[in-house]
Amino acid sequence: MTSLANPEKVSMADVALDDSLRAEDGGRRLGFLLTLPAQLLVLFIAVFPLLMQLYISLTDWSPLDGIGWWQAYELWNSFANYTDLMADSRFWSALGRTALVMAICVPAEFLIGLGLAILFVDDFVGKRVFYSIMLIPMMVVPAVAGYMFFMLFQSGGPVNDILSGLTGMNVAIAWLSDPTTALIAVMIADIWQWTPLMFLILLAGLVGVPEDQVRAATLLGASWWQRFRTIVLPKMKTIIVIALAIRVIENFKIFDTLYIMTGGGPGVATETISVYIYKVTQQDLIWGYVAAIALVILVALSILVSLAISRMNAAKGA
Amino acid sequence: MNRSLPFEVFRYAAISLALAVTLVPTLWMASMAFKPIAEWSAAGVDLTWWPKNPTLDNFRFIFGTSTSDLIVALDRTAGKPILSSLFSAVFGTLIAMGCGTAAAYGLSRFGSGKNLPLALIQLRLFPPMAVMIPVMIMWAFLGMVDSWWGLALIYGIVTLPFAFWLMKTFFDDMPREIEDAALVEGCSRSRVFMKITLPMMRPALASSALFVFILNWSDYLIALLLTTREWVTIPVYMASLSSSMTGQLYGAKAALGLIAAVPPVIMGIAIQRHLVRGLTFGALKQ
Repeated sequence: MTSLANPEKVSMADVALDDSLRAEDGGRRLGFLLTLPAQLLVLFIAVFPLLMQLYISLTDWSPLDGIGWWQAYELWNSFANYTDLMADSRFWSALGRTALVMAICVPAEFLIGLGLAILFVDDFVGKRVFYSIMLIPMMVVPAVAGYMFFMLFQSGGPVNDILSGLTGMNVAIAWLSDPTTALIAVMIADIWQWTPLMFLILLAGLVGVPEDQVRAATLLGASWWQRFRTIVLPKMKTIIVIALAIRVIENFKIFDTLYIMTGGGPGVATETISVYIYKVTQQDLIWGYVAAIALVILVALSILVSLAISRMNAAKGA
Repeated sequence: MNRSLPFEVFRYAAISLALAVTLVPTLWMASMAFKPIAEWSAAGVDLTWWPKNPTLDNFRFIFGTSTSDLIVALDRTAGKPILSSLFSAVFGTLIAMGCGTAAAYGLSRFGSGKNLPLALIQLRLFPPMAVMIPVMIMWAFLGMVDSWWGLALIYGIVTLPFAFWLMKTFFDDMPREIEDAALVEGCSRSRVFMKITLPMMRPALASSALFVFILNWSDYLIALLLTTREWVTIPVYMASLSSSMTGQLYGAKAALGLIAAVPPVIMGIAIQRHLVRGLTFGALKQ
């Protein structure tokens, strides 16, 4: 699409292509046709739904009203949904809880993942097998992982059994029924499932650090920590940023494991932003309001991301 | 980095601990799947770590051929949910791979669709929960709620970013000389793509498709919102499996969980070489 709108731009980019493949008209037409389905899918899922969401968010529409969404203007309420949202303490506490979960899980996953990656850098007996086993948690269907941890944290379950064995006392914590321990349990499940992702990415980064520089520093008498801090970490900077960004984005969406383990409960003790929106969608059915919440989150995220990208570009330019 | 004996001891100790933590939850579920009902929970007695009387009753129960001493019978078996997961994930993967591969080639070779990389990353960025209201309305309007094809379409869109980015990095890596030679021989561009590029890309296509399939197969939230009864997928069906008479059906759910968990784990290990590339949108290659 862009290729048709900006022919100059394309020919600039195509200078890099091989002579015989330079995009003459035939190539450009084929390129357009090839990208068309993907462009249509993006339009189909991004533009129209967003406009619809904006429209509905200005009304009190609910699927139970018996009128089609396009007639939602009959229930016009201007910006009432948005002002309600500002005063919705359940929304704000869900947002705060999501931030808390992120602030604990992502650093924990990063540190454990980095520690394990350091242990896996050089060769040792059993490395390949151990490596494959370490990756298993992130392949397990998250809903199934949620169910595993639901079983593990039952008061008569294995976690209490192990704790009893270690402490010699009879531990019988009702993990998922207490607000604090329930939150700890869902965070443990998240850390279990996603530390392998950090491990995998950080190990790929560590392996890419040029060995000769490390060896030279060793010969010069640099300690392990000095080598790590002055050679390895700077080389890993981009990779660390990528790994953290991926986990921050995915952790913000946290739903499957958590919802299967606790359903957001007890009460609202583990209700994160996705769980909160889900509950309003399915139980309260005020879709006009849900649309408003969703749009606020989308706009806030977009602003955050464009800020992050411009800061990264600025850092690159400096 | 370090080769002293204490370090080696520390290394194996730390890795053993990590392996234990990694494996215990999975093994607990696997063992639960083969336990008879009497060993499901530790009501006052010692916890059963390994089934004392291993049985396949849990698997028979979810497929409706045994009641597993539960007196209750299921109103529907796990067969259809497994089919639903399979159909929606397979066809979702086909949609994502078809559109993603074509677009990636278009961008990589002809510079078309320069807006796609960023647009698709943004698509991935947003929580699905924040865009589901319009999707639910549209799917209802198109008559695609509670159908495997409706799920397949949304899965195809949700995983399109991964298919596109993975294939883009593979196309960028591919040497162009062979394509050039065929062009000089007088092949048309579309023929080069179909007859030369795609066959050469077969391993890359297979890895990417498996990666996308795992993502589709793992979904819970979208199926929870877009299916109601006929075509619920495994995770949705599993969450609804409980009986008022016996409470949680631990063994039955574990059996189903095992069926759901095994395929992606095997596939994931098979493509572990490309996992980093897939997960970082091609920013990092292993």
